[in-house]
Amino acid sequence: MVSKIIIVFLGGGLGAIVREFFMLLIPQTRSDFPLDIFAANVIASFILGLTFGNRRLNAVSDEFLLLVGTGVMGGMSTFSSFVYGAYSEMTSPGHMAVGALYVISSAVVGYLLTLLGITAAKWRHREA
Amino acid sequence: MQAIDIMWVFLGGGIGSVLRWGVGLAVEARIRMRFRLGTYLVNVTGAFVIAYLSTAFMIDWHHRYGDMMSSFVLTGILGGYTTFSSMQLDTVQMAEDGRHGLALVYIVSSIGSGLLAVAAGVALASI
Repeated sequence: MVSKIIIVFLGGGLGAIVREFFMLLIPQTRSDFPLDIFAANVIASFILGLTFGNRRLNAVSDEFLLLVGTGVMGGMSTFSSFVYGAYSEMTSPGHMAVGALYVISSAVVGYLLTLLGITAAKWRHREA
Repeated sequence: MQAIDIMWVFLGGGIGSVLRWGVGLAVEARIRMRFRLGTYLVNVTGAFVIAYLSTAFMIDWHHRYGDMMSSFVLTGILGGYTTFSSMQLDTVQMAEDGRHGLALVYIVSSIGSGLLAVAAGVALASI
């Protein structure tokens, strides 16, 4: 139990740092679309799908899924900044459409990349 | 933006992630249902808190750097506590089980409730 807590803590801390770097390095877009959080969220969705897919095929351990999936990808992706950013856009004058696009594209691209991650794990396993 | 901020983000992200994992385990142990209530609850409560604190401390969400409130609490703890990727994985798993209606309800209600929780947090902090 204690070692699992440490695994989630280290992974989550590392994931949050990766997200902070996305926020610092991805420039603000002219349309005010929050590309930094969008990118962090959909990339984390893909890697979580990939890791989960590999766990399901017994290619990685439970501890690996806990470290990379629950920890790093859970820490790298964020729901609170996502909905808070979407609300801020949708309630600021002239940005309603950008906010709506942000919500819908995050939901759709995140879903498709999660599915792609799981599928990529199956392909990799089939070739091996 | 300094090295110390990175450390705060790391500590906050670690603490938030352990909280998320703990809440998830506690909820799943008590309530077994196909709708992933643990992820849902974590995300909606986190959305409320980030909106409340950002409004109360007047933090512009475009400039969330450089102080402990932004680095440790908002980016760290709340970013680590809530998760977008697990919400998506939950949704995909429901769809894989053939529960397409439930998957749609889950993702739409997660985001819808999240937005409502943000509105409630902003409103409460504005009183």
